[in-house]
Amino acid sequence: MRDKFNFDASQHSGSFFWKRPALGRRTFFRHIATAVGGYYLMPARSWERVASASATPINKAKKVIFILMGGAPSHTDTFDLKVGPWTPQSFNPTQYGDILFPQGLMPNIAAQMDSVSLVRSTRSWAAVHGLSQTWWQIGRNPTQALSKIAPHIGSVVAIEKRSSDTDKTLPPFVSLNTGNGPGTGYLPPENAPFYISPNGGGLPNATNPDGQTRFEARYKLHQGLDNEVIQNSPYGGVTEEMVAFDANARSLMYNPEVAKIFTFDQTERNRYGNTGFGNACITARNLLASNKGTHFVQISIGGWDMHQNIYAPNSLPALARTFDNGLGTLIADLKAAGTLNDTLIVAMGEFGRTVGNPNQASGRDHFLQQTVLFAGAGIKGNKSIGQTDALGAATIDPGWSRNRDVRPEDVEATIYSALGIDWTTIRRDDPTGRGFDYVPFAAEQDLYGPIHELWN
Amino acid sequence: MKLIYLFLAVAVVCLSSLALNAAEIASVSGANCSFTSQPDNFAARELRVHRDLVSRVKQLESIPRRSTPAAVSPTSLPQRNFIDRIVFSRMAAAKVSSAPLSSDEEFLRRVTLDLTGRIPSSSDIRTFLSDSSPVKRDILIEQLLNSGEFVDKWTMWMGDLLGNVGSASNVQPGNGGRDAFYNYMRDAIGSNKSFRDVAYEMVSATGDTSDPAGGGPANFIYHQQTPMGPVQDSYDTSLAKSASVFLGIGYYDCLLCHNGRGHLDGISLWGGSVTRADAQKMAAFFSRLNFNMPRTNSDKYSGQYDSWRVLDRASGNYDLTTNFGNRPNRAAIGTVKTLTPMYRDGKEPASGAGYRDSFGKMMTADPMFARNFANRLFKAFFNLGLVDPVDNMDPARLDPNKPPPTPWELQAANPELLEALAFEATRVDFQLKDFMRLIVQSSAYQLSSRYDGEWNIGSIPLFARHYPRRLDAEEVHDALVKSTGVFTNYNVNGPTAPPLQWAMQFPDPNVGGSNLLNSFLRGNRDSAQRSSAASILQRLTIMNDSFITNRTKVSASLTLQAAAKLTDNKAVVDELFLTFVSRHPTADEQSKAVSYLTAATTAAARNSALEDLAWALINKIDFLDSY
Repeated sequence: MRDKFNFDASQHSGSFFWKRPALGRRTFFRHIATAVGGYYLMPARSWERVASASATPINKAKKVIFILMGGAPSHTDTFDLKVGPWTPQSFNPTQYGDILFPQGLMPNIAAQMDSVSLVRSTRSWAAVHGLSQTWWQIGRNPTQALSKIAPHIGSVVAIEKRSSDTDKTLPPFVSLNTGNGPGTGYLPPENAPFYISPNGGGLPNATNPDGQTRFEARYKLHQGLDNEVIQNSPYGGVTEEMVAFDANARSLMYNPEVAKIFTFDQTERNRYGNTGFGNACITARNLLASNKGTHFVQISIGGWDMHQNIYAPNSLPALARTFDNGLGTLIADLKAAGTLNDTLIVAMGEFGRTVGNPNQASGRDHFLQQTVLFAGAGIKGNKSIGQTDALGAATIDPGWSRNRDVRPEDVEATIYSALGIDWTTIRRDDPTGRGFDYVPFAAEQDLYGPIHELWN
Repeated sequence: MKLIYLFLAVAVVCLSSLALNAAEIASVSGANCSFTSQPDNFAARELRVHRDLVSRVKQLESIPRRSTPAAVSPTSLPQRNFIDRIVFSRMAAAKVSSAPLSSDEEFLRRVTLDLTGRIPSSSDIRTFLSDSSPVKRDILIEQLLNSGEFVDKWTMWMGDLLGNVGSASNVQPGNGGRDAFYNYMRDAIGSNKSFRDVAYEMVSATGDTSDPAGGGPANFIYHQQTPMGPVQDSYDTSLAKSASVFLGIGYYDCLLCHNGRGHLDGISLWGGSVTRADAQKMAAFFSRLNFNMPRTNSDKYSGQYDSWRVLDRASGNYDLTTNFGNRPNRAAIGTVKTLTPMYRDGKEPASGAGYRDSFGKMMTADPMFARNFANRLFKAFFNLGLVDPVDNMDPARLDPNKPPPTPWELQAANPELLEALAFEATRVDFQLKDFMRLIVQSSAYQLSSRYDGEWNIGSIPLFARHYPRRLDAEEVHDALVKSTGVFTNYNVNGPTAPPLQWAMQFPDPNVGGSNLLNSFLRGNRDSAQRSSAASILQRLTIMNDSFITNRTKVSASLTLQAAAKLTDNKAVVDELFLTFVSRHPTADEQSKAVSYLTAATTAAARNSALEDLAWALINKIDFLDSY
């Protein structure tokens, strides 16, 4: 396997290569010149990776919106509605194809059900918030060895898709309203989540608080002071990596096209429900529409951990309305713009909630069974994958080829497959030296794989 | 290998009130980590470490160093101790010339950052430069080793190493546990406690995790509690973490699932020969730990804190009877259904001795313990380990007196140096200060990072120049605070504790929320590792974040107020260069900066120009690096 410099790493013997001068100085500097420029200029880096199984990605989407509903929504009150004496009348259960859906709770999403598919045979591995949230985001068991170096799914998408972009103005992985969590793992830093909590007032830190005129003067002074350093470098260019990041940062600043993505008015806010989540949905829409290099947008919306009084007006009904105003309008806007078919939307909590009668505090507790919502990317709408029993406690029909519960690893594989990424890829550049598989055990044991039934 | 799914009803420990009927956990049998024994595929991994290093070296290549001559013969450099003898003789044998000794400015900034995590003040620099004593570097080293800032920085280092947090994805030590652990480490650093004693206490401690009187060390084992599996998973995690942190052996995580043969034989000579049962016998030292740690709610630790009780049981061993969890099933080996502890050198605990107590003694007497200690500290100062990554050590390829069979080669970049450092670590009884003194006094550490000769990646293992590093997030924060003289109060230890002003004093990197600290990738000691990588967000932050722009205001900054009082613009420029980037300006930098200030005709305009200059210096290439 040869990289773009015609360098074949497999012909390069010994793990301590400097002891065996197999890597000639000329070859080395061809690589180093790139390394200094950052991984940036070295897309794909094919000599560091192999795909070991002959998997065929379905390749239906260019971009992903990944919505993490932190705290874990009650699946039997939302995406796997089970009507019982506890169900408030206002939920207005309505049938859409396969799907019984609480139209009254989430009317905007209900109006888009022809683009929505619900995977009801999903079961989380763990009912512990932090553990399970990490699990969904890295697509593997966080307590196992590789997890300490494991990148977020979005970082894998970033490194895979970056090379095909002509416009790389924006970071490939943008995470909205998230704050912190799993990041780039051992992958190069430009694949890290770019955290923003958007409010419509532009991209944070893309303008200088002291004003543009002042900034330009400062920047000129700064460049003048560094000029000598740059000229004097024996290697011709100083710090190309820093210069690359600096140039990229500068290209985001005072850039009307970038500012436009992160700027919207109150009318637009109101359309999306005038909430933080709604603002994130507007930003996600703009980011993806701009075609400036962003492929993966995560939106986090917490507050679903409703152990008490789940049906109180300020509890599930209010949060579901926030979610519905944002996501329902987002789907409608993408559809109107004609980009829904290119965009895979995935939404889920880290697990589900207890089923049947609510608990003594009129709430619902942690539970493994849950549902994942998919939309866009040409999937068939009005469709349920898998069925649960009468209460929603367990899967009775998995509804897909592997004939078992869907796991976070399978959803991860689905995202990769939808984007045309071979989910059986094993990278050979990980610091533990064991090989890093995009989806655990997918290549050698075919343990997990994509839910291609979404497109059937 | 065929997959078997077992659906089991097991009790799941959950941290909130819950009504879980059952948890189901897939059990994965057989070879369950993707791996190929083809070693050539792994060239890329060392290449990455070295590529990053070359990138760093070049970034800082052209920072002006005063009176730095060209590359010199390694034999012409003063030999302060055995480090220099070994490093320079190897360089001479390879016929590679050395970088010269660092200038005073370069050395002062580097050693102050490395030992204390702070940048020197302008008056520190002036005093040091004007001192004509031939032993002034040694005197400075003693001052730094005995400073309060030294304790701050190395408590942070130890907290990273041992993983002290208030909340992790698998455990919840709370602020009580975190603070007890933090105070234990602070005392250990402050009192120059032997790292051997620290390591022994980590693996053997009992107690209540939040107990301010002695509960600290119990947090280490509490953190190894592993959810969603049988208790053997927790034994395994305890071993994997201990071996990685204290022995530099990261491969137990592989070996606790499967034999090394067929998996590790391409990358670790030692690992290829170790069986899963060998690894499990090591983990069996933890098999009398009571991992069902009861929660205690004592007023003693203040009402809001929960504590966890770490205790040993009188009996119990490592049972080979699991069929679910985080690792492949454990099944009887022939008629053997239970494993008793055996250390990797074949030793067993004496009859009647405590398992963990025995493990602590054997582990700290293991030759790998000294090598790991030496290698990790070497990396902390030379910015590249003799074995790197530091937990990748191969015990069978380190002793120069017992070279491995062909085609294997000794693993360390300089095998003799690693052995000598390990010997010295034992001789100084693993006292951090004594060991560090030896390192920072050496000429090898004091080499310039500027190298004017032919230098390429093949020279990396020779350490013929100093390798630069980006400052850690906390160091960036503290450098901004110190250089501008603008402080922020952080209330991180509860309402009654005094606020903290230096990020290096934070008990764990999840407190003192700040865009600045997070964008410089301080990690969370759990799901995100500390990183010195660069990013676009960092550039945007350092250029525009209010943390910086609010500090570069004459109205707020003590530094700028003092500078504004100086009438000579040359003196202003000199002072600001020393304050922000720890060096005097070059003639070119000085003339440009002076003319920028001189162009201001009113007092207000001059203040603005001063602010601009401070901003430009913070954004200069060298502000973020130790070189």
